[in-house]
Amino acid sequence: MKRLQLQRWSGSVLSAQARTGGRLQQRLYYAIRHQSTASPAAPAGNDQLVKKQPQAPSISSPHSQKSRYRLPSPPVEAARESAKLAALHARLYLPSRLPLETLARSLVHPSADPNPNFNNESLATLGHDLLTYYASEHLICSYPRLPLTVIFAAMYAYVGPKTLAAMAREWGVESVAAPGGEVDPGYLQFQRLAPGTDVNPETITGTERPHDDEPTWRKSVTSRVVYDNEYGDPVKGPVDPSELAERDAQTSQGVTVEEANASFVSAVMGSIYLHAGRPAAKRFFEQHFLSRHLNISDLFNFSQPARDLARLCARENFEAPVARIVSETGRKSRSPVFVVGIYSGQDKLGEGAGASLLEAHFRAAVAALKGWYLYNPLDVRVPSSMEEEGAAPWKPVHVDLGEVIV
Amino acid sequence: MPIQGVRTVTTARNGVGAFILQCKQLDFHYCDWAGSSRGMVSYLKHQLPAFAKANPQIEIRVSPRPNKHPVIRGLFINGREKVICVRNLEPGAIIKKVNLLKEASGEKLKRTTKPVTSINESVRGIWSPYHGGIKSV
Amino acid sequence: MASCLVASKRPLLALPFFLSSPCESVVLDLRRNQSSYRRTTQRLRVKPDASFGSSLIHTQEDHIIHNPPSSAPSVYLTPSKFLPSNDVRKNLRTAPANSNNSEELPPVVRAPSEKKYHLTPSDIREIRRLRATDPMTWSRLKLAKRFECSPMFISLVCETSPQKKEIQKRVLEAVQSRWGSKRRMAREDRQLRREAWGRDQ
Repeated sequence: MKRLQLQRWSGSVLSAQARTGGRLQQRLYYAIRHQSTASPAAPAGNDQLVKKQPQAPSISSPHSQKSRYRLPSPPVEAARESAKLAALHARLYLPSRLPLETLARSLVHPSADPNPNFNNESLATLGHDLLTYYASEHLICSYPRLPLTVIFAAMYAYVGPKTLAAMAREWGVESVAAPGGEVDPGYLQFQRLAPGTDVNPETITGTERPHDDEPTWRKSVTSRVVYDNEYGDPVKGPVDPSELAERDAQTSQGVTVEEANASFVSAVMGSIYLHAGRPAAKRFFEQHFLSRHLNISDLFNFSQPARDLARLCARENFEAPVARIVSETGRKSRSPVFVVGIYSGQDKLGEGAGASLLEAHFRAAVAALKGWYLYNPLDVRVPSSMEEEGAAPWKPVHVDLGEVIV
Repeated sequence: MPIQGVRTVTTARNGVGAFILQCKQLDFHYCDWAGSSRGMVSYLKHQLPAFAKANPQIEIRVSPRPNKHPVIRGLFINGREKVICVRNLEPGAIIKKVNLLKEASGEKLKRTTKPVTSINESVRGIWSPYHGGIKSV
Repeated sequence: MASCLVASKRPLLALPFFLSSPCESVVLDLRRNQSSYRRTTQRLRVKPDASFGSSLIHTQEDHIIHNPPSSAPSVYLTPSKFLPSNDVRKNLRTAPANSNNSEELPPVVRAPSEKKYHLTPSDIREIRRLRATDPMTWSRLKLAKRFECSPMFISLVCETSPQKKEIQKRVLEAVQSRWGSKRRMAREDRQLRREAWGRDQ
């Protein structure tokens, strides 16, 4: 990636204020902010859309203090005056090429300002893709045998909305009570949910999955790669522009604090990528995301480990697993302890301790399966390391057969 | 479904990757008239600009508080605040107080009794009587 | 014994004063206790473990001291059998594993049952017929006993009628309705503990 091109891109992000057209094609005619008196005429034959468009007042000079009350989010010039914003920039050690204006824009959630030129939606989309890319390549290369459900859980733990919201809190980002143009741009701008709103709708309909209206039907794990998102949650399929307006009307009713915070963290990642380039974005990911602590062995939940282990040994042509009592004490007492090891031939695969032979056997099978799934190759390199200057030639990483299918 | 994933959240380890300074804001309150603020006013005039330049990650607010003793208030990322009254203090002593606020984590002061506090697992595991070289007596 | 020693060491000092009557009592006082300092230190002076490599073979050469922790092995340590063939660690670890013999392996929990594969398609048809005609008498256990197979195999081959399932459910409900709060909570706790096994908690 050439730096020159990056600067050209970043210029387009910065100069968005001057343009009146939409960056995203599907939003071209929706939510146009009339910055100048010569606004483009809304297309005819789109009456419904025009009706729904909020009546944006025409602003004569954006510099006057009074006009700021009419804007949905702080103007670009305010970014240079905000002490909070500069402090946040310095606190995160953001590169100096990332201007304060972009950081201010990444703090505006679409629910506060529906205009895509002024909110962080595009930056957050880019940042989210980068985050999931870096996190998934790290997980798949360093733990090549992880089952898919555990990869989903680990992705959720690394870059899920809960984690991102916690990170924004740990960065000291404060959120506004209500968004507006007069607010300090150092605050996170979003429309809060009305009290009593149901945050968790029961089922998501309108996904691309066939027969998604049948809740009792089995969803295979493999189909979740195709139809679901990176955390294994169902996602809505592509919507046509008319429904997009409805969705925007929904978001303008408000979002949760968690969602707004998560969009800010993704947007910071996206803006670092745009302004400072790929190496800086990757360094930011390693320092802020990968450095967090996660014990992957805690993410497993087995239901029938002994059966899975037998299937695994059959698949890999090992001898069938046999449970053996390594040591025991107090068999006829109230609190006995058994230590059971699982052996395949001469080799011990795993062991577990429990108050009954059944429990110890179960735990031993869990330990053996974790020993298989948590295999970690030496000298792991991720594909994105090839983007560095003077990288060594690529050696293929370990690719596994996949999880045990029973 | 043979295996299910358990959803959790990663825990922060401040300083392992990036380090986030926990003091996010310092409020300086002074009085123009009162003698107890003399040192504070001198500090604000001469030392504070250099401190602010050296620590851009702290938002600094200076505001008068007439007829009251001078006060430094530090706001921290965990939501707590620490307030230090600096009446009759010389600028040199105020520098120390400001540094104290800057380097604080914001938590309540606690006595640490254990030499190491860690969320990492022990390298040699938790001792169990059923493992290791069991000797027959 | 100790008192004699003391007496012989300082004859000039001790004798002029203690020749008279109080000699017996002093002897008793000077007798040292069994738990003396030297004895306890001698007892605590344990030889280093054999695993520390003080054996005769390794006295001269450089060697690795292997002292495994007395704790359950970590799950992050992949067993050498599970390492792929191109992994360097596989060759490093193979040497000590070969020295074990099958006699040294601990006893098995339950001997693995031999599979007989003796049922013919006609037998299976018979199983299905019996279970369909009279599900109350021909339960899984009875069928397994009669055909000398496992109850698991019976459940693979056929399924009971919905009426039987309904009756069984009612019986279970009737039994559970007689449970008091203590028994019910104990059963629920047991179920929760069992679910925690799978999460390794």
